[in-house]
Amino acid sequence: MQRLFTKLCCGVIALFCVTAQATPWDKLSSDQLEQQLTKKFEQGLYSPKGADTCLMCHKKSEQVMAIFDGVHGNMSHSESPMAGLQCEACHGPMGKHNRGGKEPMISFGEDSKLSVSAQNSVCQGCHNDTEQMAWHNSSHNLADISCADCHQVHAAKDPALDRLTVNDTCTSCHTREKADMNKRSAHPMKWNEMTCIDCHNPHGSMSESALVKPSLNDTCYSCHAEKRGPFLWEHAPVTEDCSACHNPHGSVNEDLLNSRAPQLCQQCHIDDGHAGRVVAQGGQNAFGAGKSCLNCHNQIHGSNHPAGSSLQR
Amino acid sequence: MRFSLNLITLSLLALSGNAMAMDFSVANANTSKIKEGAYQCKRCVVNEGYQGQVSATAHYLEQNDIHAGNAFGTDKDGLASSVSGDVHYQNKAGYQAAMQAHQVGLDNSFITLTGEKAGVFELALDYQLLTRYQADDARSQYWYQDGMLTPVSAPQYYQFDLLKQREILGLAAEYQGSFYDAYASYQRQDKTGNREAVMFVQKPIAFGLPIDSTTDNMNLGMSFSGANWLADMQYNGSLYRNNIDSVSLPYAYDAYSATPDNEAHQVAFSGQYRLNATVMNGRVVVGRMIQDDDLVTVSNSPIQNWDGQVDTLDMYYGMSSMLSNRLRLGGSVDYSQRDNKGSQFDFMQYSYNNLSGAFKQNLPLDIDRTTVKVNASYRLMQGYRLQAGYERKMVDRNYGQREQTHDDKLWSKLAIRAIDDVTINLEAAYGMRGGSRFNANEVTSAEENPLLRKFYLADRNRAEVGMRINYSPLSWLAVDLNSYYADDEYDATQIGLKSSTDVGYDLNVSLQLSEQVNAYGFAGQQWIKSAQAGSQSAIKPDWFTDINDEFINLGAGLSYGGLLQDKLTLGADYLFANSASDADTYFGLSADYGDYYSYSHSVNLYADYQVSSQFAVKLAYQYERYYDTDPAKVEIAHIPGLVTLGQFNHNYNAHQVMLSFSYQLQ
Repeated sequence: MQRLFTKLCCGVIALFCVTAQATPWDKLSSDQLEQQLTKKFEQGLYSPKGADTCLMCHKKSEQVMAIFDGVHGNMSHSESPMAGLQCEACHGPMGKHNRGGKEPMISFGEDSKLSVSAQNSVCQGCHNDTEQMAWHNSSHNLADISCADCHQVHAAKDPALDRLTVNDTCTSCHTREKADMNKRSAHPMKWNEMTCIDCHNPHGSMSESALVKPSLNDTCYSCHAEKRGPFLWEHAPVTEDCSACHNPHGSVNEDLLNSRAPQLCQQCHIDDGHAGRVVAQGGQNAFGAGKSCLNCHNQIHGSNHPAGSSLQR
Repeated sequence: MRFSLNLITLSLLALSGNAMAMDFSVANANTSKIKEGAYQCKRCVVNEGYQGQVSATAHYLEQNDIHAGNAFGTDKDGLASSVSGDVHYQNKAGYQAAMQAHQVGLDNSFITLTGEKAGVFELALDYQLLTRYQADDARSQYWYQDGMLTPVSAPQYYQFDLLKQREILGLAAEYQGSFYDAYASYQRQDKTGNREAVMFVQKPIAFGLPIDSTTDNMNLGMSFSGANWLADMQYNGSLYRNNIDSVSLPYAYDAYSATPDNEAHQVAFSGQYRLNATVMNGRVVVGRMIQDDDLVTVSNSPIQNWDGQVDTLDMYYGMSSMLSNRLRLGGSVDYSQRDNKGSQFDFMQYSYNNLSGAFKQNLPLDIDRTTVKVNASYRLMQGYRLQAGYERKMVDRNYGQREQTHDDKLWSKLAIRAIDDVTINLEAAYGMRGGSRFNANEVTSAEENPLLRKFYLADRNRAEVGMRINYSPLSWLAVDLNSYYADDEYDATQIGLKSSTDVGYDLNVSLQLSEQVNAYGFAGQQWIKSAQAGSQSAIKPDWFTDINDEFINLGAGLSYGGLLQDKLTLGADYLFANSASDADTYFGLSADYGDYYSYSHSVNLYADYQVSSQFAVKLAYQYERYYDTDPAKVEIAHIPGLVTLGQFNHNYNAHQVMLSFSYQLQ
């Protein structure tokens, strides 16, 4: 523990005086880098022996060799880059990179100076299917999120494609939603029993908030089909927008409610002395105890009883 | 439609003169000089056969509240066992198979099997058990059997578990042709358990209503692709069947209508077309929701079952174009229509369980929505990107207190990547909601207080700002701070929700102190304050409530893998969360609504020992401390005229010890 403490102290001191290690072509500006890489790409000076040439230097790197644990390094997979141009399928033609490693190659991730759209063009060359149909207008694309920001190719299993780890991938940026998972009521996200991608498509969708169904309510109905109706007696905000009353990411109130009953109900219903009566303390009478307004108006999502206009039965 | 026309004009302009984006895709590669025969990859590692790991775990649980089962995966007390695994198989012929299992044997678990031949077909089978535990000490004066509630005399109340269990079985298949994919999937979801329900017969009577329903979801379609286009057409169907139709009391038949069966069908066509650096996509979805379940028997009801039918139409067009390496423009138009075609009838209504003689007509709700968005993203200079956009959402609805609303929003974001080791994201937005005159509808206007503005229809000004800073000064240290503030003002509202603010932050720190030592910590707080006014006199506001919601979330963890020649890893995780909501009401006097909060402490300690290259053993301990309280929860007959399920708050300490053996397949 003493070593650990020393290291932690050194780290905190170093925080203010050390920067991350630079790559050989780090001095190039983004535009210069793109110009050089474009020129190399057009020249098409690929290595004489493909991956064997690359691995002469890079074989010692565990991260590099991890490509063979996953599908991108599988030579028997007809669509794998390793079954084609191998390393250079993604990293571009080698050119003179092997002469000292100073000539730039296409690299990926947050440390790459290559523009995100140029990085992503590599991935999208193969991954151009209907799952990505709305990528170009997605908030992730507009925010310059690269494929490599979320996906790991040099790995046995991409954490973004594992239902036990995909939530970690999303919440590494969406920290507010990560916190919401721990509120009094929340979908069972923190135990990975549900995942972010059950509702959202990170590659964008043609629905609001990149939801996987055509509308917000349709997305909720995919698990809560009993709320779908249509009911003989409908409750207008329920029909219009589930999120009018519920926050699907979590709430300090039970049932993901934005506020509790009766306060939530009284933000819309003050029609007479009945709905508008002051309920100053909980548990004192039938208006503030049990389920409050829902004691009587218990079919709040809609009623199918002929005499259920007040959503009471 | 003026906006959509402008958008089309914009897209045509974009098409006429945009810049070619950099395209490093393999299809674009110059391979004229390549000698493919020399690409033998002798240094490559060929992983054939099985890879992955399987594990078996023995659990010892000590818990006196089933609510702890949410964290532990089961509500069992004492011994339990589970198996997990993540195994992958592949061969030289291009066949692959995978199995992932998680805690099979517990009540929250899954197992997924997939098989594929690359570029030809994929098959998947998935089974999931999902259980949500609410309480095990709910008590009722009534017990349910075959649609009848039978009274139980005090003090022998009927005690039961409030929980919901979903058993989900899914099948999926996909066939990949030269330019098309054909796919189909089916999922059945069985829901069982008990939920809290209330029947209103002279007084509200809470009881445990069994859950016994199934939902069948189907999806099938085909997608096509070309050099610069994609197309997809698919059908989605969903059938919900509830095996409980109605609930009666011995002295009041069919007093409660259970959720009716329903079904929904959608046919969707979507596509994408790319022209140089411009991408356009669109979708049309035609849907129908049907509900014609039998109605409960009521005298004077004009129908036996309602012809409930809602037709939906969703249309979308979007485009995005890179006009230059610096500038991207985009926009979209989205239209959605809900047309309720269910017939209208006059139904006799009850007034406190006595036939009042009053009739009421059902009101099928129609909603039309149009959303227009335009956005631009511009690289100011290297490392600085500015985004801005405008959105307008227009909603038309019938039978509403306000038949038209429109939300306008302007937003902007600035991303700064120019500073070494630091990224900064700033964002701001301002939105306004307005619409038609309130109480415009004759069906509803007579019932409403003229000063009331329902919060989801009311005029609203919303201002939002946010900032995220990520600082990674060292390869082993990353600090991320996210903060946000939003203010909603309902200036035209005298009765109803008047204002709301939401402010908070999240701080995350991660450290890779050495190859063997990882640590993390996070802290977050949020404050949501809202103010509303009400009226008992049905004239002017005479009471006011301030709601203060607070949330705090703290966590930290450490793992150390450098013991016993790096074979032993020790780790610890801790999480604290506290949710609270206070409601203070002023009505001449001041009153606090009562304590409403919950907190939890979660601790996880583990030791993972790698016995050999293939065998590992892990010993873990999990602790859960949970407490919640709710002033609304009162004893069953505490309030005259109200029957509840009792005070099922939670206050427990729960423990779990797990011993796992895992085997690595190589």
